[in-house]
Amino acid sequence: MKIVRQGQIAIALVCAVLGFMLAVQFRTTQDIRASLPYQRVEDLSQRLQETEKERDALLEELAKLRDSLTETSSWETQKIKMAAGIVPLRGPGVVITIDDSKRPAKPGENPNLYLIHDDDMLKVINELWAAGAEAVAINEQRLIASSEIRCAGPTLSVNNTRYSPPYEIKAIGSPQTLVNALKMRGGVVETLQFWGIQISIKPQEVVEIPAYKGTFRFEYAKPVENGGK
Amino acid sequence: MLLPLIGILVGIIVGVMFPVKIPVEYAKFMSVALLAALDSVFGGLRAGMEDKFDNVIFISGFFTNAMLAAGLVYIGDRLGIDLYYVALLTFGLRIFQNLAIIRRYILKK
Repeated sequence: MKIVRQGQIAIALVCAVLGFMLAVQFRTTQDIRASLPYQRVEDLSQRLQETEKERDALLEELAKLRDSLTETSSWETQKIKMAAGIVPLRGPGVVITIDDSKRPAKPGENPNLYLIHDDDMLKVINELWAAGAEAVAINEQRLIASSEIRCAGPTLSVNNTRYSPPYEIKAIGSPQTLVNALKMRGGVVETLQFWGIQISIKPQEVVEIPAYKGTFRFEYAKPVENGGK
Repeated sequence: MLLPLIGILVGIIVGVMFPVKIPVEYAKFMSVALLAALDSVFGGLRAGMEDKFDNVIFISGFFTNAMLAAGLVYIGDRLGIDLYYVALLTFGLRIFQNLAIIRRYILKK
């Protein structure tokens, strides 16, 4: 076998660079393969479907279990459940529909002013609670103590479910008080209507508010022994 | 023949150790440069077997080839011409040619 005599060191050096490039390129290609677009879309959608099915089954089970609990409960526990939002409620109240403004933004004006934001919704909800609303729901999502109301892009996220306008808020309470609280002079509705945001308030004899469909998770919180005394 | 192999091993080890990552957009340039480097190595081996090896030509050829290949791909990318394949084809052909010549030398002893 003929031996390469000349340029051993130079070739070795270049080989080292080549090896380095090989390793880097190998890792980069590995990354590309592992990235989402390269995984088969069908595979992912199938997994999503399976997970959704599983979720629905679990939700059903949860509802069943909660129902079986209801039968053996006293008035006290029933009240706690109503407050926690895990039983559907019915009673007199108001139905409020809020939609984005149809008015075109004037040039130079912030178009955001004509859209509903999470803080607008929060103000309305806050006003409802202040006026003695006993239960509130946004688009079939019961508001519980840990419910969030947050802008998620152009949509609104409530109980981790996204909704786009129009939003429907249902509240149980004294219809007259609720309506008056919202329509208060200088109140929420007046401010929103100034920007052309469409808001309709209908007092109703019977408003039905669904139960909270999610789960409660307590990863960090633990009840205090002895009831905290 | 041993030194180049040691070199490539050292390079791979260093490359694995260093957490250098190339953005996905640049992976194409890197692959062409890689091919150019491979071509240079084979060319160098061949020259060494023919006793025509020249250090300056070898090193400069290595760098210019890699740069030119990457630059060509970049320009092609901008112009919408797939110069990527041109570099790929050229280097691929040359690698095979050099490999054939090296093989003959080795077999002839």
